[in-house]
Amino acid sequence: MTAVEEVRARPGSDRTVRVASRTGRTLLAVWLVLPVVPLLLWAFADRWTFPALLPQEWGTRGLDEALAAGAGGAFAHSTVLGAAVALLATPLGAMAGRALTSWQLPGSTAVLAVLMSPLVLPPFAVALGLDVLLLRLRVPAAAGVVMLLVVAALPYTTVVMRAAYAAHDRGFEDEARTLGASAWQTVFHVQLPLLAPALAGAAFLAFLVGWSDYIVTVLVGGGQLTTLPVLVAAAASATGSDAQVAVLSLAAILPPVVLLIVVGTLGRKGRR
Amino acid sequence: MTTTDAPPAGPAGRSTGRRSRRLGARGRAVLLVLPALVLVVTVVGAALGSALLLALGLAPLVGEPALSLDGWREVAPDLGTSIRISLGIAAASTAIAAFVGLCIALAATAAVRRSRLLGTLASLTIPIPHLVGAAAIGLLLADAGFLSRLLGVDPPSWPPLVGGRLWVAVVAEYAWKESAFVALVVIGVLSSRAASYGETAALLGAGRWARLRYVTLPLAAPALGASAAVSFVYTLGSYEVAALLGRPFPEPLPVLAFRLFTSIDLTARSQAAAVAVTTALLGLVVVLLSLRALRRLAAEQ
Repeated sequence: MTAVEEVRARPGSDRTVRVASRTGRTLLAVWLVLPVVPLLLWAFADRWTFPALLPQEWGTRGLDEALAAGAGGAFAHSTVLGAAVALLATPLGAMAGRALTSWQLPGSTAVLAVLMSPLVLPPFAVALGLDVLLLRLRVPAAAGVVMLLVVAALPYTTVVMRAAYAAHDRGFEDEARTLGASAWQTVFHVQLPLLAPALAGAAFLAFLVGWSDYIVTVLVGGGQLTTLPVLVAAAASATGSDAQVAVLSLAAILPPVVLLIVVGTLGRKGRR
Repeated sequence: MTTTDAPPAGPAGRSTGRRSRRLGARGRAVLLVLPALVLVVTVVGAALGSALLLALGLAPLVGEPALSLDGWREVAPDLGTSIRISLGIAAASTAIAAFVGLCIALAATAAVRRSRLLGTLASLTIPIPHLVGAAAIGLLLADAGFLSRLLGVDPPSWPPLVGGRLWVAVVAEYAWKESAFVALVVIGVLSSRAASYGETAALLGAGRWARLRYVTLPLAAPALGASAAVSFVYTLGSYEVAALLGRPFPEPLPVLAFRLFTSIDLTARSQAAAVAVTTALLGLVVVLLSLRALRRLAAEQ
């Protein structure tokens, strides 16, 4: 391929293209990274007045303020919320994905469209409509939040598991059944281990839906559920606590990024 | 795909005919999809139905239910402006996100000098919550923010990017986050298919630009269009970024609905529901239009 290019391209124009492409790549990397840079600097800045490019005093003032604002409890709430959404949305999505790839489901296009619909519905509209209803039915606020976020996560888990089941070789299951395994044994000892990387990916996306949500937590949770995004919003709309905003923001970024790396390595192992 | 889900053909299985085995597999597929389907239909149906009833005055929190369009009538003066602002923000940020996302995907899947770094950076941007992205963009673009320090511009002469007339910070946040989303979707398509097609085209004598124009872009177009549509509808219905980085007035649709819904005036709830129903319908129209466009694109190819 490079040989073909070298034959065709004149040396001068090739150099221009190389410089342009390197500049373009640098700009794209800056575009992706730049917004996170002030977070990283502010998180450890005790004093950083204009026009200094770097903080004048480093320290843990932001961390102290964040902890005083209840970051620990909010972190726990966010983790539980994300885990609950992942725990419910992943098996539901896996079952739906299996059914959608079985070629046996009547009206599978319509079923898929319905399961995808939460992706394009404004979350605030769904939350706002359901809030009134949940109040009338006396459903606990936290249960309402989890239920709505599971619905919001289902499109992701269904798509991931549908793709995984489409690529999954059922020959292994048939073989296990021929060798005398029961239906449940086949599911737990053959199907699920083979699909573990996809399940991890689906669970990660579902966790992310619960972990990052703000509007559903505020509208349906009615102020009882203080998650990390709720704290970030409170700190960011107040003035003069940039270090605290940065620490809370980093606390909301780091766990999913670590999870992503873990899931990524799991996936790579699974493919090997 | 053989008769997969059916029970193994033991002595009992063999005696039941082919027809009933088929039905068994079909029933099992229906049972598997039912929990998810029932949950989505119940929650979405109940939420939208309840919002519609509220907007039409049929389920008021105070007073007698009576069918009326008062919810829409009372919010009408703000609704037009809010629709325009919401569509504007969504269009601007989606256009930038689609262009930048495509560039990232092209660089990350290029046959020569492939950039693995850009792919990694894009996937690391995905798990950042939009609200946190908004806080970060605020620290970057505010007067006395990081960018004004980098460029050495004093706060008085720094343009009002946060909370200003042009919604620059809001558009920047959505464009930033969604460009990573678009990039990952397009990378997924290009990494599996572009290499072999590109090599064939190169062997047939196609130059760099011809390969981009006639091989890579047509391959990327459906994924680019679909991800841009999803990102447009998401931006249209998303609350927190505009609430944090936007102006207090006029408001985009979600911010308007949220303010009305949480106001002490309980009669404003029907207006909030009217705004919510309007936003959902607007999203639906956008989805149908983009589905039609994508189908036409597929037919052309």
